[in-house]
Amino acid sequence: MRKLAFFIPFALFISLSVFLFHGLFSNPMERESSVLNQPLPAFALPDLQQPEKIWTPDSIKGKPMLLNVWGTWCVTCNAELAYLTELREQGVMIVGLYYQQPADAAFGEVFNLAALQQEVALKLEQQGNPYQWNILDKDRTLIFDLGVTGAPETFLIDAQGVIRYHHIGDINPQVWQQKLAAAYQSLQE
Amino acid sequence: MRYFLISLLLLTGTVQATEVLIEFKDPQQQALFKELTQELRCPKCQNQNIADSNAVVAVDMRNKTLELVQQGQNKQQVLEYMKSRYGDFVHYLPPVNKFTLILWVLPVVMVVGLMLLLLFRRRVQAHSGAAPELSSTQPPELEQQLDQLIEQYRRKS
Amino acid sequence: MIAEYGQLALTFALCISLALAIVPLYGSFKGHQTALQLGNPLSYALFLLTAFSFWALSYAFWSNDFTVVYVATNSNSLLPWYYRLTAVWGGHEGSMLLWLLTLSGWIAAVALFSRSLPLQFQGRILGVMGLIAVGFYAFVLFMSNPFMRSLPYFPVDGRDLNPLLQDFGMIIHPPMLYMGYVGFAVSFAFAIAALMGGKFDSTWARWARPWTLAAWMFLTLGIMLGSWWAYAELGWGGWWFWDPVENASFMPWLVGTALIHSLAVTEKRGTFKSWTVLLAIAAFSLSLLGAFLVRSGVLVSVHSFAADPDRGLYLLAFLLVVVGGSLLLYALRMHSVRSQARYELFSREVLLWGNNIFLLTATLVVLLGTLFPLVHKELGLGSISIGEPFFNQLFYYLVIPFSLLLGLGPWVRWKQQHVQPLLKPMSLVAIATLILALGTLAATQSVQANLALLGLLLGAWVGSSAIFELLQRLQQFGSVKQGLTKLNASHFGMTLAHIGFAVLVVGVAMTKTYSVETQVRMKAGDQVELAGYQFRLVEVYPLNGPNYTGEAAELDVSYQGDYVTHLHAEKRFYTVQRTVMTEAAVHARLSRDLYVALGESLSNDSWALSLYVKPFVRWIWLGGLLMALGGFIALCDKRYRRAAPNKVTAKQQEPADA
Repeated sequence: MRKLAFFIPFALFISLSVFLFHGLFSNPMERESSVLNQPLPAFALPDLQQPEKIWTPDSIKGKPMLLNVWGTWCVTCNAELAYLTELREQGVMIVGLYYQQPADAAFGEVFNLAALQQEVALKLEQQGNPYQWNILDKDRTLIFDLGVTGAPETFLIDAQGVIRYHHIGDINPQVWQQKLAAAYQSLQE
Repeated sequence: MRYFLISLLLLTGTVQATEVLIEFKDPQQQALFKELTQELRCPKCQNQNIADSNAVVAVDMRNKTLELVQQGQNKQQVLEYMKSRYGDFVHYLPPVNKFTLILWVLPVVMVVGLMLLLLFRRRVQAHSGAAPELSSTQPPELEQQLDQLIEQYRRKS
Repeated sequence: MIAEYGQLALTFALCISLALAIVPLYGSFKGHQTALQLGNPLSYALFLLTAFSFWALSYAFWSNDFTVVYVATNSNSLLPWYYRLTAVWGGHEGSMLLWLLTLSGWIAAVALFSRSLPLQFQGRILGVMGLIAVGFYAFVLFMSNPFMRSLPYFPVDGRDLNPLLQDFGMIIHPPMLYMGYVGFAVSFAFAIAALMGGKFDSTWARWARPWTLAAWMFLTLGIMLGSWWAYAELGWGGWWFWDPVENASFMPWLVGTALIHSLAVTEKRGTFKSWTVLLAIAAFSLSLLGAFLVRSGVLVSVHSFAADPDRGLYLLAFLLVVVGGSLLLYALRMHSVRSQARYELFSREVLLWGNNIFLLTATLVVLLGTLFPLVHKELGLGSISIGEPFFNQLFYYLVIPFSLLLGLGPWVRWKQQHVQPLLKPMSLVAIATLILALGTLAATQSVQANLALLGLLLGAWVGSSAIFELLQRLQQFGSVKQGLTKLNASHFGMTLAHIGFAVLVVGVAMTKTYSVETQVRMKAGDQVELAGYQFRLVEVYPLNGPNYTGEAAELDVSYQGDYVTHLHAEKRFYTVQRTVMTEAAVHARLSRDLYVALGESLSNDSWALSLYVKPFVRWIWLGGLLMALGGFIALCDKRYRRAAPNKVTAKQQEPADA
C-alpha cells in the first residue's frame, strides 16, 4: 500500500501526457459552433447588387443551401471562389453573406455602396461567381448573431432554414468531401 | 522654443473641454463594462480579451457589450447573449457543471489530502517509536553557538 | 564561415554531452576514479564550445548575415545594434541556443563549485545533467538548427525582429528566466543523484540548497522583469494576464518556492525527505513542461513560438523520458526511506508543511487552469476558456491562509513550540498590523474597499511580523548592533524575502482596487482630469525612427495646479513587419504610476488617448525584487561557501539556527 503511493506522481504524469499527446494533433483554435440546429436568426438585410430588395429568413429558405461568409478584402475567400463556382455548376445552391469591414474614419474612409458593388462584380467576373445572390451585412449584425469570427465561414442550411453545419475556414475539395457533401446530400432527400 | 510658443497660445485661448470617448450613466455601468470586456475572450485572437484586442470581431463584441450595458442589462444577461452566439469559449470563466466542478473541487481535495498526509505520517512515526530527541527546548542563541562550534570542529578536521 | 564554425562547435558539444552523460555515471557505478574525474573537464569543454557557438550566432546577427535563415527571419539591417544582438534569442532556434548556453553554464558552475563534494556524488550530478544536455543539444542540432543557410538564394534584407521584442526588457528578461528554468536542473540532478545512491541524509539537502536558491532567485527576477516589460510595452497597463506562457513560468516558481522551504526542513531536521525529492523533480519537470507548452503549439497563447508538431513530439518524448523516468526511479527507490525525526503539531515543521500545502495547491490551480481546456476539448466536451476570473477567485482564497501562516512561521521553533511565549509578540504584531493597514487606508483613500483592506491587512501582518521577528532575534545576541554582525545571512535573506511578499500583496490589492482609467478624445491644448491629476495634451507630432515611423504625443501633468511632470507617449508603425506598437508614457512614483497610451487619430486633428492612474503598482515589482534580493543575501551565507567535509558521516541531526 505504502509502496503503491509512491507511484501516484508517475501515474498522474503519464495520464497527463496522454492528453498532451492528443493535443499535439488537434488545432487549439478550432471550436464548435453554438448556433447548430437552430433556425436562422431574424434579420432583414439588403441585396448587395439590388439594395431595394430585402432578404429575411423567410424569403431565403425553401431549398437546402450553403451560406458563405466572404469579402473581397479576404485572401482566403478569393481563393475558394473557384471551387465554390464548381460546386454551383454541380447544382449546389450557394448564397453569399458579404462581410463588410468597418470603414476606418481615421483614414477618411466612408462606406460607398456603388464602389463596393463594382468591386464585387469585378471580383466575381474574374474568379467565378458561385452565388445565387449576395446579402450585404454592412454592420455585421447577422454575422454577429451567427457567431462568425472572420471570413471565410460557411453554414449549411436546410429547407426549413435551420443551420445544420458551421464550417470555419475555406472550402476545398477535401473539406467538401469529408465534412459537407454527405450532409448536403441527406438534406436533398 | 516651440513649447514656449504653444504654451503662450494656450494661455490666451480658453481651455477646451475634453470629450470622453465612452459615456456611461453611472460608475456602476462603467465598472460593469470594464469587467465584461476583461472577462470576454476574443474568439479570433491568440488568447486576448476583447478589451485588449482590436480584431474586427473584438471591436464588434466590445460595441455590443457597451450597447447592452447601456441598455441596463446585467452581467449574466450580457454573458448569455455572447455565449449563445460564440459559445462558452468566449468567457474566461467556464460554466460550472459536473465535469468542470473538478476545477474547484480538486484544489480543496489537495489541501485536505495534504493535511491528512501530515497527520498520517506523524501517527506512523509515533508508532515506529523514533528515538526521542534530547535538545528540544534549547534557546536559539545556544543553538547558534553549537552550530559555530561544529563549524570550527569541521574546519580543523 | 563563422556560422559553420558555430554549428561545428555545437556538434562537438553534443558529443561532449554524450560523454558527460556516460563517463562519470559509469565511473560512479564501477568505482572508476579516472572516469569520475573526467566529469569536470568535460563540463568546462561543454560550456566553452556552447559559448563559442552562441558567439558565432551573435556574430551572424551583428554582421547582418542574411544567408542564415534564422537571422533573416528575426533581424533587419535597420535594426539598432543592441536589438540585433538580443534578436539572437528573439525566435525559437536562437532562444534554444540561449537555453543551451545557460544549461552548459550551470553544468560548468556545478563542476567548479562542487569539487568538494564526494567524487562519486559529484560524478552522478554531472552525469544526470549530461543526460539532460544530450536531449537538448540533439533537439537544437537536429530539429531547430539556428545556423541553417538559405544558399544560394537569400534575401537582401531580413524580416525584422517582432516589434514587441524591440525593448529593453527583451535584453534581460529571457536570460534571467532561462537561468531560473534551467537552474532547477541542478536541484533535479542532486535529487536524482541522491536517488541513485539511495542515501538521504540531510547532507544532500544542504548541498542542494544554495543551487536551488540561486535558480529560484533568477526565476523570480525573470518573472518580475517579464511582468514589468508587459506593463511598459503592451499599452493597456496590465501586469499579469494568466496567459499559458506566463503560467508555464509561474508553476516552476511556485514549486521552487515550496522546495526552498522543504529543503530547509530536510536539512535541519532530516525529515520530509521523500517529499523534498519529489519537489526537486517537480520543479524541473514543470520547467520542461513549460518549454513543451510554449514550443509545441498545444495551447493558444499571445507569446508562443511558431508551432511545430514535430518539435512538440520530440519534446513530449523527451519529457516522457526525463520526467517519467525520474518519477519511476522515485517510486522504486523512495518508498523504503523513512524519516525518523519527531515533531509536535505546533512546530516549524508543520507550519512549513502548511506553506507547502498552499504553494502546491496554487501550482495545481495554475496547472488545472492551463491544461483543463485542453483535456475538456480532447474528451469531446467542447471548447472552454479559463482565465483571469478563475485564477483571481482561487488565488484570493489561497493567499489568505498562506499569508497568515507566513506571518506566524518564523516565530515558531523546530520540533515543538509552546503557545504561551508567542502570545505577547504575536499580539504586538497583530496590533501593528491593524494600525498599519487601517492607517494607510485612512491616509490615502476611503476605508471601504474590501480587497484593499484585506491586502493591507495581510501585507502588514506578514511585513510587521517579519520585522519584529528579526529585531527579536537580533536582541538575543545581546544588542541589535551585535546581532547585525552575528546573525547569519540566510536569516536576513528570509526576512527580506518575506517583506517582499508583503509588499507584493499590498501592491496587487491596492492596484486592483484603486486604479482608474479613462479613454478620451483630445486635441492639442485639451485638458482632462483623472484622480485629481490634470493631463494636458501639448502637441502630437510625427516621428521617424530607424525602422519605424509614427506619432508622439507630449503631455503636461499637474496636480492641484502644481506641475508634476512631462509625459511622452509614442505610437510606432514598424514598416517591415507592418505592426503598430504603443510606447506608453509612464511616470512612476512609489505611491502611484501615471500611464498614458496614445491611440488612433480621430477626425479634426484629435486623438484617442488612454489615461491611467495606478496606485501602488510599483510595489508589485518592488516586492518581486525584494524577494530575489532576499534569495541573493541568503545565498551569501558563509556556510554555503565553506568546504564540505570530505568524508561525510551520516549525521541525522545538525542543531543549527533556521
